[in-house]
Amino acid sequence: MGAVTDDEVIRKRLLIDGDGAGDDRRINVLLKSFTKWCNSPGTPEEGFTQRMQSTLAQCEFSMGKTLMVYDMNLREMENYEKIYTNIEQNITSAHEKIAECKKEIQRAKRIRKNRQEYDALAKVIQQHPDRHETLKQLEALDKELQQLSQIKENVDDKLELRKKQFHVLLSTIQELQQTLENDEKSDNDDNSQESPVENE
Amino acid sequence: MDPVELLHMSVFSQSFSPCGRFLAAGNNYGEIALFSLSAALSPDATALSQKPVLTFTAHEGPIFSLLSTDCFLLSTGNGEISAWSWTELIKKNVKPLWTKRPNYKSSLEIPEINSMAVQSRDNSLVIGGGDNNVHILDLEHGVFKSVLQGHTDYVHCVSVREREAEVLSGSEDGAVRIWDSRTGQSVHCIEVYKYESCARPQFGKWISCLTTDSDWMLCGGGPSLSLWHLRSLSPTSIFPLTGCQRQAAFHQDMILAAGDGAFVSHCRLGGEVKAQIPCSLQSVNTLQLNANSAEHQVLTVAGSSDHIDVFTNLSYKAFSLSF
Repeated sequence: MGAVTDDEVIRKRLLIDGDGAGDDRRINVLLKSFTKWCNSPGTPEEGFTQRMQSTLAQCEFSMGKTLMVYDMNLREMENYEKIYTNIEQNITSAHEKIAECKKEIQRAKRIRKNRQEYDALAKVIQQHPDRHETLKQLEALDKELQQLSQIKENVDDKLELRKKQFHVLLSTIQELQQTLENDEKSDNDDNSQESPVENE
Repeated sequence: MDPVELLHMSVFSQSFSPCGRFLAAGNNYGEIALFSLSAALSPDATALSQKPVLTFTAHEGPIFSLLSTDCFLLSTGNGEISAWSWTELIKKNVKPLWTKRPNYKSSLEIPEINSMAVQSRDNSLVIGGGDNNVHILDLEHGVFKSVLQGHTDYVHCVSVREREAEVLSGSEDGAVRIWDSRTGQSVHCIEVYKYESCARPQFGKWISCLTTDSDWMLCGGGPSLSLWHLRSLSPTSIFPLTGCQRQAAFHQDMILAAGDGAFVSHCRLGGEVKAQIPCSLQSVNTLQLNANSAEHQVLTVAGSSDHIDVFTNLSYKAFSLSF
């Protein structure tokens, strides 16, 4: 256990030795001069106490500096933690945005597919003639048909009329012929009847 | 497998597992190889992860069609259909669950089965094969429900129109027939090669790829790949792709088509070819998109080679799996 802590201590000391070998040496020098000052007989020199005080002040100063550096490190750590959580949040929101965008893409692809299907159908439909035009053509044809059937009816009626008239004419002629024949026959009969009477 | 066999290998069919982590591919030697997609797509994939985790001989003849339902893998070969359980296959147990053979009229030659499709409405399997007929197998009871007769030459591809419960079949005789699956009668018969805009007499009249999106249908083969509106039975767009397309698929707002030619064509519904992405195969027989898994959404393309190209992003080929 003692070896471990010694190692740790040595390692820490070697690491923390950022200030050069100054700090440690200064503390040792201060201690040595303090013990010398305590053990020195009689009055010490004036400069001695001042020197000791100045070294003490220097030590305090460097200690204050390291304390501040320590505080600063702590605050930096906090800052980094904050940035870290911030970045994590950004990552998750970016993930979500990516998923959203992927869904959007799928939707847009579906829409595009529908549009293309529509276009393809429209192309085929365009090849067929317009419905209004065909309707108009149909109407015109209907009218023509009606007119023609009208004309046909008229002609038929005329034909019927002429037929009847001819029929009447022919039947009157026949009757006349018949009556003429009858008259002739009756005349002949009369004549033949009269002549034998005359002869007697 | 020795190099000569690998050189002459063609992969005819692929299917993804229901969990989306495995790909099964069938080749012309009657073997099915199972590839682990999660291993091949993981960041620390090695060359070994692009080899199959399991290869076994499923049939004596080439496997022209593979289909996955939610727990089975159905494979066709030598005129029969075998069903394998995906969970058993993942555990490397290669015993088929059942093997069935449709009723063929002639017993002299055994016609091959070219294509299968599942009708989820009544849980039946539609099979198109070399005997010019489309057979429907009820997966619940395992009996063949009906036979749709009408084609005069073998059936290349079948597809199912879920909403209207219709089956579409494209065949070598150039006709795409639409059958009502309940009555078994042919509702429409579209002879694609008779339409001047689609016909390519130099290639013939056979229809080799058929896929439907309920309102629209893509068909191609001898005639150019064309998009048809099924309500009006009229071709709306013709795609100016050289070569005969063997497989086409609707994907979001695009059409993916592949066939002769070492590329996968991306086309828009309007009829223009947006892009042609090269792949390492000389000609492509099958194209599959993994819709079963969210993180392994890849397009795999296989054909006249022992390699299967995997596209993680549709715009470029990422790597190849090999038998």
